Amino acid sequence: MIAVAIDEDVEAVRAGCDGITYPVLIDAEHIVAELYAISNVPTVLMIDEDDNIVQPNWSAYASDTFRELTGIDSEKQKDHIRAWAKDGTLRMSPDEAKGVVGDLSAEEEEARLVFRVAAKLRRDGDTDGAERNFERANALAPNDWTVRRASQPLRGINPFGDAFMEIYTEFNEAGRPYHGVTGH
Amino acid sequence: MTSNDIVMLEGGPLVDAAGLEDAVGWTLKPEGLCKDDACVIVNDRDALFDGDRIDVTAVASLLDRPATTDIESGLVAIGAPREQRRAAVNDMKAPDFVLPDIDGLPMNFSDHRSKKRLLVAFSSW
Repeated sequence: MIAVAIDEDVEAVRAGCDGITYPVLIDAEHIVAELYAISNVPTVLMIDEDDNIVQPNWSAYASDTFRELTGIDSEKQKDHIRAWAKDGTLRMSPDEAKGVVGDLSAEEEEARLVFRVAAKLRRDGDTDGAERNFERANALAPNDWTVRRASQPLRGINPFGDAFMEIYTEFNEAGRPYHGVTGH
Repeated sequence: MTSNDIVMLEGGPLVDAAGLEDAVGWTLKPEGLCKDDACVIVNDRDALFDGDRIDVTAVASLLDRPATTDIESGLVAIGAPREQRRAAVNDMKAPDFVLPDIDGLPMNFSDHRSKKRLLVAFSSW
């Protein structure tokens, strides 16, 4: 298992990593979100010994914390992962898996670059420049959580407060767009 | 060690020949846009130039890489070649990447090749 934090706050990530023995990587530039068309977290992939993606982007949870919102039973999901680890049993056939992750739109792709510019300006102390670019990124990809929600802590907004419901409401109205598959 | 093919430039999109190679690893030669032994044919050479300087975002476009410029700050961000993401979403082949671990030590995803890998993207937000 390899965990990738789509996050630049190393200390916030470290706080959740007590006792963890697998690698935890810090993706401050959201490189993995660009390369794998990841639009929200958690997103889980199963990749075999030969670099084949046998379970593409999957909204899978380690616990039932969000079960009321998602309706997803995390134990069933973990059973799928254990079965694959044990004997290679897959949740989806290769034919089913192929093509379930839509490529990023031009706007979603550009939003990732604009986010990267905003994050750099923020680190360099240009708060106004950062805000201008975060707003532009969010306008390009309003339902992409790795852009819009990830920008919140960098802009002094609590991502667990009213700002969460604002994104969540729009996301639902847009039909819950996700680059990947959901469900048990 | 591989490096991720993303670039952040300061000072706007116009660069000289050396700046182009620094930014994207390709150089403009009479035969085209070249890197090592490979060359991409450039049909409209003038479109890559603004005066005697090269527009790195036009070169990125030719290399099928996304780019964006924030005019006010002069920052230019260039993304990875789109073929890397297409390998994932169309061909189900996992693109490699290198990232620092939580203690700052770089790790290549491909270091773990020949094992089954569960890749988990998460966040604190």
